[in-house]
Amino acid sequence: MWSEKYRPQTISDMVGNEEARAAITEWFVKWKKGTKPLLLVGPPGIGKTTIAYLVAKQFGYDMIGLNASDVRSKSRINEILTPVLANVSVMGTPMIFVDEVDGIHGRGDYGGASALVDILKEPTVPIVLAANNDISDKMKSIKKVVKTIQFKKIPPRLLRVYLENILKKQNAKLSPGSIIKVITKSKGDIRSMINLTQSFVTGFNPQTETTFENINVEDGVNAFFKANSIEEARIVLYSMQIDPREKINAFYSSIITSELNPHTLAKYLEIISESDMLYGRIMKTQNWRLLRYLNDILIKLYQNDDRIRYAQYNLSWPLLNRIRWDGAKIKSLSSIMAKKLHLSSSSFVTLCLPFVLLCIKNKTLELELEETFGDLIEKEIELLK
Amino acid sequence: MKFPGTCIVCNEKIPVNEIGLWAKGLGVKHEKCAQINELQCIVCGGPAGCDQCEFQENCDIPNVSQLCICKKCSEEKDAFDAYQKYVNKKFSLLNT
Repeated sequence: MWSEKYRPQTISDMVGNEEARAAITEWFVKWKKGTKPLLLVGPPGIGKTTIAYLVAKQFGYDMIGLNASDVRSKSRINEILTPVLANVSVMGTPMIFVDEVDGIHGRGDYGGASALVDILKEPTVPIVLAANNDISDKMKSIKKVVKTIQFKKIPPRLLRVYLENILKKQNAKLSPGSIIKVITKSKGDIRSMINLTQSFVTGFNPQTETTFENINVEDGVNAFFKANSIEEARIVLYSMQIDPREKINAFYSSIITSELNPHTLAKYLEIISESDMLYGRIMKTQNWRLLRYLNDILIKLYQNDDRIRYAQYNLSWPLLNRIRWDGAKIKSLSSIMAKKLHLSSSSFVTLCLPFVLLCIKNKTLELELEETFGDLIEKEIELLK
Repeated sequence: MKFPGTCIVCNEKIPVNEIGLWAKGLGVKHEKCAQINELQCIVCGGPAGCDQCEFQENCDIPNVSQLCICKKCSEEKDAFDAYQKYVNKKFSLLNT
């Protein structure tokens, strides 16, 4: 991925926010015990997290990265940070970075915010926080005890120069119109901009110039299994900017309805299961940073396998048809029988229907029903075997 | 200013008696912060030419990082190298 290949290696490799970058560097140069922690505020995708990691690397700190989900409760904060702050860490020279600090919620977070503020008041190691905005009430208490550095969006023309430099290094070309489109669509998010450029250059959907934000699930799944290389498949996967649940479901329904041999199907389902577990973990812990691993799991599904086509429903058409039509007939049968037996329809279906069918099969019961139910009863009797 | 406030643009304090521009529901800003400045070209030091920029419609001038690059400098060969060179020159701390 170009976004990985061209990830800045030093602070001076970054683009934009020059004054903010200099201010952070100055803070690290002058840092001593008790110096107010830093709060980096700015929109996503402009390098707040990147600069924290780079500065740690540049100044020889061992970064301890946390996010809002790690600092939910007081006990959790103390569990993670007390050893570091008490200098009993085996980490060497630690530095704490708390990402998405504006994600801590007041009521649900069991003292997390106040415990964090207590730590911020007496820092014994460099502490850097990052947030997308600082205007909420919960940020007020944090802002009082930190030095705030604002990060702003990067001017589009500067992004253009940055992008053209990458294209030059890659020996690739993109029309001026496409470059403007890429920069405009990515709305200042550098990572998205590079990914989108790569997808354009490698020929993924270049004619329509559909952005990765707009690619639909069907095209995405089909293009994924049709891709000629794992790199292409990866780009398609990253291009499917849809709800993760929807993404997992789309791959599941497509695979389960395709004609695959049991061994391949088992392998694919194992991968889907792994991605489902990751999603479950994200939902349970609300640690959305884990989402970045979803595509790395799903990419294991890639195997230029044109037997797999997108399917919306996770059941085969014959089965779906049966549910649709036979289901309606069973409902109608159950309402008739429920009246006769003084039961509810659902009780009849769950408790009595199997016995009624068995009796009809053994010819110990004859029901006077419309002819239309004949087929259905025969089918259901077949299933009793 | 009748009461002290914090500028919504630069985040600095605005003391009593200083001129500030206030709007209900928005907040207050310094007089100088209220002026929409043209971005500056970091390479040549001149104005970035925002009124003729190809991204004029998509660039939120007050809310972007204030150093940009003008059309002429951006069309030079190795424009990004020049940008990096001048950033490092202007912000020597970044070479630390």
